[in-house]
Amino acid sequence: MRTLPAMSGTGLTKVYDTLTALADANFIVMPGEVRALIGSNGAGKSTLIKILTGAVTPTSGVVEVDGAPVPLGNPQEIIRRGVACIYQHSNLAPAMTVLDNIFLGRQPVRRFGLLDRTRQRREAEALLALHGIDIDLDAMVSTLPAVKQKEVEILKALALDARVLLMDEPTGWLAASDVARLHQTIRGLKSRGVGIVYISHMLDEIFNVCDTVTIMRDGRIVAEHEVAGITRARLVELMVGEKLARDSAEAAHVKRRPRGSGEVRLSATNLTRKGVFRDLSFDLHAGEILCVTGLIGSKRTELMHAMFGSDRFDRGTLRIGGKPVAYRHPAEAMADGIGLVPEDRHREGLMLGLSVTDNLVMATLDRFRRWLLLDSRRIAAVSRQSIGDLNIQPPVGTRHVRLLSGGNQQKVMLGKWLNFAPRVIILDEPTVGVDVGAKAEIYGILRAERDKGAAVLVVSSDLEEVMTIADRIAVMVSGRMVAIHDADKITRADVVGLIGGAAA
Amino acid sequence: MNLMSLDTAVRRLAPHALPLAIVLIVLVFAIAQPAFLKPENLVGIVRQMVLVGIMAVGMTFVIMTGGVDLSVGPVLALSGLVAFFCLDAGMPVAVAIVAGASIGLAIGLVNGAIIAFLQLPPIIVTLAMLSMVRGTALILGGPDLHAIRGQDAYTFIGTGRILGIPFPIYLFLLAALIMIFVQKLTPLGLRVAAIGENERAAYLSGHRTRLTKMALYGISGLGAAIAGMIQSSQVHTAAATYGEFGIELDVIAAVVLGGTSLTGGNGSVVRTLVGILFLGVMNNGMNILNVPLDMQLIAKGFIIVLSLALSELK
Repeated sequence: MRTLPAMSGTGLTKVYDTLTALADANFIVMPGEVRALIGSNGAGKSTLIKILTGAVTPTSGVVEVDGAPVPLGNPQEIIRRGVACIYQHSNLAPAMTVLDNIFLGRQPVRRFGLLDRTRQRREAEALLALHGIDIDLDAMVSTLPAVKQKEVEILKALALDARVLLMDEPTGWLAASDVARLHQTIRGLKSRGVGIVYISHMLDEIFNVCDTVTIMRDGRIVAEHEVAGITRARLVELMVGEKLARDSAEAAHVKRRPRGSGEVRLSATNLTRKGVFRDLSFDLHAGEILCVTGLIGSKRTELMHAMFGSDRFDRGTLRIGGKPVAYRHPAEAMADGIGLVPEDRHREGLMLGLSVTDNLVMATLDRFRRWLLLDSRRIAAVSRQSIGDLNIQPPVGTRHVRLLSGGNQQKVMLGKWLNFAPRVIILDEPTVGVDVGAKAEIYGILRAERDKGAAVLVVSSDLEEVMTIADRIAVMVSGRMVAIHDADKITRADVVGLIGGAAA
Repeated sequence: MNLMSLDTAVRRLAPHALPLAIVLIVLVFAIAQPAFLKPENLVGIVRQMVLVGIMAVGMTFVIMTGGVDLSVGPVLALSGLVAFFCLDAGMPVAVAIVAGASIGLAIGLVNGAIIAFLQLPPIIVTLAMLSMVRGTALILGGPDLHAIRGQDAYTFIGTGRILGIPFPIYLFLLAALIMIFVQKLTPLGLRVAAIGENERAAYLSGHRTRLTKMALYGISGLGAAIAGMIQSSQVHTAAATYGEFGIELDVIAAVVLGGTSLTGGNGSVVRTLVGILFLGVMNNGMNILNVPLDMQLIAKGFIIVLSLALSELK
């Protein structure tokens, strides 16, 4: 007899306006299978997961649990059918006990709506015994270590009689020993026939605990594989795209300018932030694009914020134009001509409810001040100029940024910093969630900045992007810089190997 | 089909619900009691709203950044007392006014510093400040009313008239114009909007967001101080009990009625003015119609909720 999949999605497609976030995805997880789901940012993983949990209604497609179709876009019903999700960030009530958390929102009640504490405890103890998990039911959740809190979340899911468990980067906050412990728990669940979908950027974990792997890129499922029969390098290659080979061959014809004009604009020596990154040393020159690549979680964003003054470093020296600095506020970094275009344009980059024009001058307000007033005529002129230069569509300065497409929002955020005319510009994943056309435009803008003599530092997980625009490539793995090479002297395969930790 | 177009009509009108409501209420009152439309009464409406109005335009920026200032009532009382004691000690009127204003500004800045730099919740910080300032005012002024006598210049602030219009109305309009000007034409206006929209993005754009927030609470405190001196001048007395409990709620109601969201972002001084006008018309109209005070309070609460619910229809 053929077993039915624990959960399956067929022909899942999600289209937002002009952007296809997920195209015709077919996804299956069997009972007792641990399936890894991997892909770069914007590959469509989160869209797929959100469809499976009911948080997002797909444009088309079918989701089945135990062979029976489930109503789409209905989280309660999907939970009732035994599909639970554990997120990177805790969803527990920290000031309540483990027992209360397990039954949160659906406590067994006796007559008159009184809590049936005895039954709660009996059920919870049975669950602990069944899954061999050891935890104090009366402990306050906030007093537990992170890994125990994860176990509480898992218990909460099991108490719902979950047959499918979706885990979205469950180890994001855990120390290495705790990861091993969590994996032990996962193996236990697997042996009891729970189907598990495991999303992670940590390749080690995938080889450690997963049976099969589904690889996504650009909103599609590009490959499925047994973990036992695949190499680490091949996995990374599938993640970042095979088109890379062709593109990097093309890009090889573009003149690379490692070390640009030779003038060192930014120089880091042994930069360290305890528990985050360690002993990072590199130079950034005027007139070059240095790409820092690596997997998500390699602490590149943290490094950039530490240099920009929106975070700190504990040890090491940062020199800007030869002068040692340790900024305590972004304004101080900006006074030295440094700009940072953050990764998350909605949370960190833009004021969505303000106009395109307001956003374009947000980093340079003081330059538009005449006495006490803002010079609105000059602001309008600069805005028109930026909208034209960057080809922002629609070309209307008064429009709220919220109403623009992702690519145009990204261009507005970029334009804000170009108006600042930085001598050092740091860009964190400058093309996340941006369509191919806008990507090419953004690359053109970055090259133009470089040619004007700016020092450009780009954080990117997208190897195609790195191979396309970098003059030099630095690779970070787990908070350490493992290599830094001229882009024309390193192959794509070398970078893939370095990212996967082959040379580390 | 008809229902559909009604629905769209409601949605299209919703943003203008408050001005429309004001027109409607004015019409109703005017028909019920023609005296409502007499020029003296219309001036009276504005005059009654001067104290709440000045505090509301002062607090608009605070609320736009997602904060609130509950301490304005006692600040009003304390500023009036400080001005009184300065006058009583024989200081010039200008010095008394500057002293009264400074105490409000200082209290606001302390509020702002604690909220911005220690990152404590505004509602708790300003609630604590409300208590402390009231206590200070009581120590300073005791339970007595302090009569302000023989200070014509000071008395003019609250009771004088220019071209037949009470002087406090000029002060209110001046305060409102300055705040509108700051919001529309200065970098600070854009910084306030930026914090309300996305504080993290403002910070990463190099804005000194904490200093800005501190300054905004200072402005709110200053508004309360000016209101305090106008009041003491109007009634020729200063007392520790002025700015009684509840006045801060009127102030917040005016701002929120204008459409400024309590969670920050999306607000303006002009809209606050509309909110003040609405409250003023309501109060005055009900007085003219001899609605008893108890009923007035209930009606006011009801109408505030109703108009807020309408403005959420987007």
